[in-house]
Amino acid sequence: MSLRRPASAQTIPSSARKPGDRSSRRALWLGLAFASPFIIGFLFLFAYPIAASAFYSFTDFNLFQTPRWVGLDNYSQMFGNPTFWQSLGNTLYLTVIGVPLAIIISLAGAHLLNFPVKGQPLYRALVYLPSIVPIVVGGYLWRWLLNTQYGFLNYFLGLFGIDGPAWLQEPDWTKPAILLMTFWTVGGTTIIYLAALKDVPQELYEAAEIDGAGAWRRFLNVTWPMISPVTLFQVIVTLIAFLQIFTQPFILAQQRLNTPSAGPGGSMLTFAMSLYQNAFAFLKMGYASGMAWILFVLTLVITLIVLATSKKWVHSANN
Amino acid sequence: MVIAPLAACSTGGGSDGSQGTTTITFSYLWSGPEAESLEKIIADYNASQSEVKVIGVSSPDFQKQLTSMSSSNGSFDISDNFGDVVGSWASKGILAPLDDYNIDMSGFVPSSLTQMKYGGKTYSLPIAIHSQLLMYNKKMFADAGVQVPTTMDELADAALALTKTDADGNITQLGLGEAAPGATQRMIAAAFGGSWWDKDGQPTPLNDGNIQAMTWYQNLVNKIGPDKIAKFVAGYGQYQSDQDPFFSGKLAMRIDGEWNGVGIPKVAPGLEWGVITIPGASPQYKDTTEVTASTLFIPANSKHKEAAAKFLAYMVSPDAMKAFTVALGNMPALTSLLDSSADYSAIENFSAFADALKSPNAYAPSSAVSAGEYMTDLNKAFDSIASGNETPKKALEQVESRVSSYSK
Amino acid sequence: MPTINATVSPMPQVDARAPGKRTPSRHRLRQIRRYTLVILLALVFLFPLLTMVSTAFKLPSDVFHAPPNLWPREWTLANFAEAFDQIPVWRYLANTLFISGMSVLGTVLACPLVAYALAKVRWRGARPLLIIVLATMMLPPQVTMIPIFLIWNGLGAVGTYLPLIIPAFLGTPFFIFLIRQFLLGVPDELIEAARIDGASEFRTYATIVLPIARPAIITAAIFQFMWAWTDFLNPLIYLNDASTYTLSIGLYSFFGQNTVAWGPLMAACVLFTLPALLLFLLGQRFFIGGISTGAFK
Repeated sequence: MSLRRPASAQTIPSSARKPGDRSSRRALWLGLAFASPFIIGFLFLFAYPIAASAFYSFTDFNLFQTPRWVGLDNYSQMFGNPTFWQSLGNTLYLTVIGVPLAIIISLAGAHLLNFPVKGQPLYRALVYLPSIVPIVVGGYLWRWLLNTQYGFLNYFLGLFGIDGPAWLQEPDWTKPAILLMTFWTVGGTTIIYLAALKDVPQELYEAAEIDGAGAWRRFLNVTWPMISPVTLFQVIVTLIAFLQIFTQPFILAQQRLNTPSAGPGGSMLTFAMSLYQNAFAFLKMGYASGMAWILFVLTLVITLIVLATSKKWVHSANN
Repeated sequence: MVIAPLAACSTGGGSDGSQGTTTITFSYLWSGPEAESLEKIIADYNASQSEVKVIGVSSPDFQKQLTSMSSSNGSFDISDNFGDVVGSWASKGILAPLDDYNIDMSGFVPSSLTQMKYGGKTYSLPIAIHSQLLMYNKKMFADAGVQVPTTMDELADAALALTKTDADGNITQLGLGEAAPGATQRMIAAAFGGSWWDKDGQPTPLNDGNIQAMTWYQNLVNKIGPDKIAKFVAGYGQYQSDQDPFFSGKLAMRIDGEWNGVGIPKVAPGLEWGVITIPGASPQYKDTTEVTASTLFIPANSKHKEAAAKFLAYMVSPDAMKAFTVALGNMPALTSLLDSSADYSAIENFSAFADALKSPNAYAPSSAVSAGEYMTDLNKAFDSIASGNETPKKALEQVESRVSSYSK
Repeated sequence: MPTINATVSPMPQVDARAPGKRTPSRHRLRQIRRYTLVILLALVFLFPLLTMVSTAFKLPSDVFHAPPNLWPREWTLANFAEAFDQIPVWRYLANTLFISGMSVLGTVLACPLVAYALAKVRWRGARPLLIIVLATMMLPPQVTMIPIFLIWNGLGAVGTYLPLIIPAFLGTPFFIFLIRQFLLGVPDELIEAARIDGASEFRTYATIVLPIARPAIITAAIFQFMWAWTDFLNPLIYLNDASTYTLSIGLYSFFGQNTVAWGPLMAACVLFTLPALLLFLLGQRFFIGGISTGAFK
């Protein structure tokens, strides 16, 4: 399982010599020298900023004046603030609906791309293609597709007798619009699934077929357990991506002259967007730092919950 | 190859030329034909003297403007915005005070100058004043046999009578539309005696008049259908272009500003439009208008404040201001120019907008520190009201609950 | 592993061209169903891009036409001319290319070094550092965004390209991890042999390890290029002078002014996507390979 593999000890060269040994000290210097770019990077781009961010979250700080210590004020303001809860709600809406659907779509897509038919490399390339399109381009492209008068989406819906909504103007429809756009770029997830499907030993299917299992049974009894470690990885990666979603809603909600926008009725304001606006449009750096910490803790807790439940549904190769 | 682009991008602030000429960057929010008019004035200034060379950059992006001013390295030395941002920015130290420079501050329309001050200092100066009135398409009114409204009830009736739908129920023509999302809702509050601010500029979302106005608006929208309006608005063309819904005859009424007097003849010649004051819900609330000012300021991170101040002084001098406001169809911020309106007679409907400034019910939006956050929240509430998702009271109560968290 | 040839192969010869002649066997029917499904899937993903291209070549009257039509009634380059007229496309292309190129250079220089320290140098810090690398991969960028901005602001570097380039020279956790995983598969004997020959550690690294790790380094380089090419949030925060904009921010700014200039906007989008598409076609096996290792999407 990709996420855990590095933590297992066997891959780390264990030092046979005792510390303090001459060559061990030489190795230490060598290691530090080779790792020095990242050690510097870690100190300046991670360690200090994390600590600083925690500090700022307890201050009132607008970028120009020195930070003023306010204790837990930013956090108590946050919890009493409907915009905070709305942005959290929007983000959880996207995550709770988006993650399972993205996983299902990718898995279904991978199944199709695994069919024994000619031209699969081409189909696979086409499915992945949207993932290399710059996200800003994707945003404008979807704004155009979702246009109520000239867009293709409502035109196609019309062919089925469905009167398409005003996707980006009606608060109830903006989040489905964001989801549609994100599902268009599940090509990466699909390709990881495709690789996993190809790794499932063929004998297992043959054995199941002899037992008289139909396609659905074979999927439940063979495929799903065999790919469950990959699913765990995908769920975590997709989850983190959705919890931090920024550019898609930001572009879909963009207004003339780039005034701070949250979409109709605030329906597109995600947590990361709200954080950006507080920091760079309202210059409330302290408050925004507090939001960043909430996001950090939220991501951590949800990831740990998923990992904790994974023992129940992730099939381990050992047993 | 490595050095060149890095060097090129750090020269944003401008540099001192060899013969004592200081080059400054003027980044402005105007674009299109308005930007062209402005460039002419800049060229005149550059030709008139050799101390300061101004490079104009059209950058109609509020977010970038703020981002540039909030870093230690800005990309411009002078810029423009509306008066209501001054308080917020000055309080944070984003703007350079102008009192120390040699700029004549005596002749400005007094009300336009109050927004420019913070803590006893002047941080910005107005170059133009704007008022907003109800514009209407004369032909559409005549075709529908609708009279010009004089009360809010009549306005609602007219808006309904002028809204047309096709066989599928899709709107083909809308009675009352908006120049910008939420603008109409913000501006009709005064017609019910409401206000979004108290005397000190602090937010008062739950004012009775505000709730009445929002109820009026929601009733009107509900009669037409919020989803239908959303669909129609989604197909709007570019504001002030030939696809502008008011310019192209898809919109019968809109509350908008005096610059249309230049924009309409230029872009949509032949459009017959009239202007009336926004009707009042009762007589004491008639002739309301939102008065704003376009202002020029120098960011605190400018490295050429002295030169920028010289250019700013020129821009607010009578000759330059007249050239600028006549070209853009705005009202000048100097009393002497405002009183000699002969120069502005060629601008369509100009006098109606100029007269509105004198109305006792004219008001200016607050320039309090929290103005930006408050506006963002109000616009959100306006959305919820217009879409019928919340009652006006509930939507505005949510804004009220936010007020305590605003920057002070 | 797909090859470059595979992507440029002609359209598949669909077996089910003449299904009516004989009674199709069950297998045949199943194949038809499979082809239909997979081609439909590919089309769904491709279609939005087709509308982008078609809109870019349409006349305004055709763009604003309901119902929409995919095939332009009349092909025109007017939108491209308009896009070049209103957006300094070449300048933005050059800026974006410069930032992406420098980021790639940084990644290629720094990441293999750190990966080597993690995979092949026997020192006490390897394990703790690896855990740090993995932990930083999970960290939401929003947590560090504000303090990093303040650091660059303090250095007077906001508005320059430094904040967008320097981090790549300090190693990106994702790529360090990717290359480290690759290096684990390289037999120690190769490296030991060079050490015994008396080569310095750096020389061993440069002459033995780097050439072997080339596939992983190229994969990292390609992904770094794509990330930098399409990045939005960082240029949004750090660039404030229009002459320094990347394509992402240039488009964003253009849309902020002309929210309905769909023809020119789509033309600019096509120009913006082409270099990425080209890189994808040339380096597809690195893309697919890189993704399949599961290190990133």
